[in-house]
Amino acid sequence: MRDFFSKHGIWILLTAAALAVTLSLLSYFSTTSSVLHNAAGVVSYPFRAAAQAVSGWVEDKQHYYRSYNDLIEENQALREEVAELRALSRQAELDRSENALLRELLDLREQRRDLVFESAKVLEHGSGNWTSTLTLNRGTNHGVAVKNVVVSSEGYLIGIVTEVGVNWCTVRTIVDTDTELGALLFRTGDVIIAEGELALMGENRLRAVYLPNDATLLIGDYVVTSGLGGYYPSDLVIGTVESVETDDNGFAQYAVLAPMVCFDDLTEVFIIKEFEIVE
Amino acid sequence: MLTRQEQWIKWSLYAGVVAALTLLELLVLGDVRLFGVRFFLPPLFVGVIASMEGLRAGMVFGTVYGVLCDLTLVGTFPCVYTIAFVLAAFLCAAIAQSVLQPGVICSFAVTLLTFTVLNALNMLSLTLSDQAPFLPMLSIALRETLVSCLLLAAVHPVLMWLHKRFLL
Repeated sequence: MRDFFSKHGIWILLTAAALAVTLSLLSYFSTTSSVLHNAAGVVSYPFRAAAQAVSGWVEDKQHYYRSYNDLIEENQALREEVAELRALSRQAELDRSENALLRELLDLREQRRDLVFESAKVLEHGSGNWTSTLTLNRGTNHGVAVKNVVVSSEGYLIGIVTEVGVNWCTVRTIVDTDTELGALLFRTGDVIIAEGELALMGENRLRAVYLPNDATLLIGDYVVTSGLGGYYPSDLVIGTVESVETDDNGFAQYAVLAPMVCFDDLTEVFIIKEFEIVE
Repeated sequence: MLTRQEQWIKWSLYAGVVAALTLLELLVLGDVRLFGVRFFLPPLFVGVIASMEGLRAGMVFGTVYGVLCDLTLVGTFPCVYTIAFVLAAFLCAAIAQSVLQPGVICSFAVTLLTFTVLNALNMLSLTLSDQAPFLPMLSIALRETLVSCLLLAAVHPVLMWLHKRFLL
């Protein structure tokens, strides 16, 4: 052992330490991604794309042979949901006309939401148990930047871009422990914070904290982004309230939120590159 | 003593096996969760290969593989895999040289050790950034370690076979 250290060990340790410090510094000082990360992302891009294509094909085959009865039940449930949504849509149309008339009377600016989207394919779902991430096939070449918001095709919030390379980017999903978002309880308008928690991350859940004392949460209540501060667009659906719990101290309550999407199943998403919203 | 060419062949084969097993795990177990956690292969490769190949080769492998993981995977902090895998490779090789002969029990022990080192760093990082309480972290660390150890049934025989082919 002593011989080993005198001959090689110290050099290997020094090399490893130098590499670790280099990686940390490059990562810390970079606003997009470090040169090494960028190069590794570009080089591994074809392999990730190929692996994703193969695993997508395998998954397709598995879905193809899913139980026929499940599909019939799902179809029936969807028909009922469509009927309910049609009724709501008719009511919404009436409300929209009334709203437009009232805004005109009050001389308010017309509401609008201008969002610039970039569609992206999921190259890789994060493989670890300590973070929840996705790698997408869009990068600085396509105008993607750190802090861009990523949504599903239905407009449900998926996460925030945290690292960008030339033709790839990494997204931390909303269930990651690093996530902290200003949010609103859609039904009551209460301002809350939605944040990822390690214990809930494995179950694909996050939690809402700083609930007002008089807040009356119902299971199924929608939680949306508040848009306060202007960092992220408002009214993107984060998830629905699944349960209300009391924290370990027994003083404050928090709500467990179920996101609207299953991150493991995502294959295509949309990055919001720019947005302008007039409420 | 292996010639330089034989060394190249051996490490190329190790790289090929690691890549193939990683791809296989991605395809077969990519979205599978057992006890709420995913399988995680990299620590198995580091522990087992370091225990078979000795201190110098094990630590070089740990460094190179750690850097590769840091560049391609998202960790709790930027150089977590490099630090964890070099340290784990050193400990695993030392154990294999002085306590346990390379074999199934040794592979199991070094895998536990590698996960312990990696998860200790993960827990330290999340504790310092105040992102998670201790018990949930410990729970994830234990479940991840035990679930991933199941993959030793596939990883150990393949790597041991490769190692024995180049033993003189």
